[in-house]
Amino acid sequence: MSNPTHGHGHDALGTKKELIERDLRERTFVPELLKGIALTTKHFLRNLFGERDPNPEVIDRKGLSTVSTVQYPEEQVAYPPGYRGLHRLVPREDGKPRCVACYMCATICPAQCIYIEAAEYDESDTNAESRVIEKYPKAFVIDELRCIVCGLCVDACPKDAIRMDTYMHTPSEYTRAGFVYDIPKLLKGPPVTHPTDPWFKRGSSEEPDHQPMEKHTRIGDGVPGYKLHAGASIEIDHSKPVAVTKFLK
Amino acid sequence: MPRFVNILIAFAVIIGALFGVMLAAYVLAGFAEAYLLEYVGWHGGGHIVNMVVLMVTVVMVIATLLTLAERKWSAFMQDRMGPNRARINLPIIRNSALGGLPHIATDVVKMLTKEAFRPATANKFLFNLAPMLAFAPVFALFAIVPAGPTIDFDAGLVKGVQKTVSVIMAPSNPDFGLLYMFAIASLAVYGTSLAGWSSNNKFALLGGVRAASQMISYEVALGLSLVGMMMAFDTVRLAGVGGMAEMQSHYLWSVHIGTFDLGIPQWGFLLQPVGFVLFFAAAFAETKRAPFDSPEGESEIVGYFLEYSGMQFGMFMIAEFVEVVVLSGVLAAVFFGGWSLPFGQEWLANQTFFIEHQYLLGAIYGTVFWIKVILLCYLQLVMRWTFPRFRYDQIQSLGWKILLPAGLVNLFVTGALILLDPTLKYLALFGLLEIGVVAAVTLTSPKQVRDHEEHHGHAHDAHGHAPAVLPANTH
Repeated sequence: MSNPTHGHGHDALGTKKELIERDLRERTFVPELLKGIALTTKHFLRNLFGERDPNPEVIDRKGLSTVSTVQYPEEQVAYPPGYRGLHRLVPREDGKPRCVACYMCATICPAQCIYIEAAEYDESDTNAESRVIEKYPKAFVIDELRCIVCGLCVDACPKDAIRMDTYMHTPSEYTRAGFVYDIPKLLKGPPVTHPTDPWFKRGSSEEPDHQPMEKHTRIGDGVPGYKLHAGASIEIDHSKPVAVTKFLK
Repeated sequence: MPRFVNILIAFAVIIGALFGVMLAAYVLAGFAEAYLLEYVGWHGGGHIVNMVVLMVTVVMVIATLLTLAERKWSAFMQDRMGPNRARINLPIIRNSALGGLPHIATDVVKMLTKEAFRPATANKFLFNLAPMLAFAPVFALFAIVPAGPTIDFDAGLVKGVQKTVSVIMAPSNPDFGLLYMFAIASLAVYGTSLAGWSSNNKFALLGGVRAASQMISYEVALGLSLVGMMMAFDTVRLAGVGGMAEMQSHYLWSVHIGTFDLGIPQWGFLLQPVGFVLFFAAAFAETKRAPFDSPEGESEIVGYFLEYSGMQFGMFMIAEFVEVVVLSGVLAAVFFGGWSLPFGQEWLANQTFFIEHQYLLGAIYGTVFWIKVILLCYLQLVMRWTFPRFRYDQIQSLGWKILLPAGLVNLFVTGALILLDPTLKYLALFGLLEIGVVAAVTLTSPKQVRDHEEHHGHAHDAHGHAPAVLPANTH
């Protein structure tokens, strides 16, 4: 670079920067200051006179105003699909929880925020659906203040009885006790029924009445040429001493 | 209702309120002048009313509203909403933010109820004195600014005699006019430097020292920049007949369409564009607001009022906003024609209705003056939210190396042009030329493209990343 007024370099992102000699008109600053005031004033006037589009989808907003604020409690941005929100205990069609008190969720929970007390349905329970599943949670309590919203309980549940598909976060409370959710607070949302649910009576023991709606697959199923590495092991020659890397001081 | 209709209604309410206040100011000042003169034998009743109405009411109310405007307008400039959460639980306005107005009340309550804490090692007397010393001179500056023309007010029968008095719409009209402003403005430095020193805090001291040196440096340029205007109008007075504001209401060139007159008035910024820029920059530095806010420097030293809390801090804050209003008033009076309109003045003054009711004409001109003040307040706020802060050495070099020489050159050029043509036409032509040059330069200056994305950079990879604009022989 023999020309001292020209130079080039790379910033952290690898973008090429050219240091062009500044125009005299720019170096006097006054035109640039005036332009800056004009730009700020343009934004000011647009936002002063323009009606703010209350659409919470920031990208889709229209109109003169360039304000992109979402007035939070009144306007809320919808959470994306798959958002892990507040827990719910999934009800059956008859309104009772699907939960069978197996303790899977309480066991896997890394924050230990789930407390379950199991109970048995009575033998003489008139409700046949209840009788076939024997166990139910007498108490099912989640301490939402301890919960780290990892979603492991949802993965662990064998009965699809706990979900985080409420698309809302834990609402605020005035007391800590308010964050300890019990069954009446947790049991909500649309009921869920699977064809494999035990209260669908089977015609025989051979096969279920209803075909499963989802086909269960394993990793690698359907991928041509993929085979699990059966019996693969690392060969170690025991006749020779094992090479040890020595670290010198 | 659409938002722009609401905004226009708000504008109309503000203009109407200003008109009402100025009408009251003229009528009250006229009666006070007439009755005090007749019953006590004392001139100056009008000035007392002006002090109460203009300084205590209008300036303070505008300054208070500016505390909100600073936040709301800056929000609009930065594509935000601004404060709108404080609401008053009354039937009709329950869910209306009222443009953020309740935030002023919450601010006032907060300031007044907070503890005014004083560090144990601070100098008690000076620590308590400093906010007053910072506030009082700024407030007193407005005393010489005329908010309207001088009119004859017919006060009716006083002691059985038909009484007509002359009302000067300024709290005071001394012969030394602008010199008073320079004298009082230089007192404001005591408040800030004493606040910095008496807090017994290194950062506050640093802020106080910065404030002192900045304000003292810029006083030179401040004084020098107005000398051109003093020479052009041959006066240092602002108010009254023959004062700067009144002189600016005359036309340089004018045409008459029927009885309606239209023309180029001899406003200060046309005669003295360089003087205007210099004065604005110097006075802006005196207000210690961004881009000259290194005495405050909230990001590194917090500033000379670091140890203040409660209403003592509030005094510093409100002093800053009062200074904005006062500076706008002085700017309007010296450089933007004071209360005068650029058109239709003679037509308006010749209407028989206004000849009979001069106070109405005065109220209209007073409203024009305050609208100019509000626009200039906006200009100061938009500058604060557009420009980055100057580094400390840049402030000093701007003051001493640019403003001072430019002020001197401006002085000589102005003097020569006034000598050539005492009717100020040459001066105005030269001023228009300067404005035209700045406009042309602004409109033609290149677009800033600093970061070039290398679109065909792969072609240059073999011999390094050479910018495409480089000539080949530089390698």
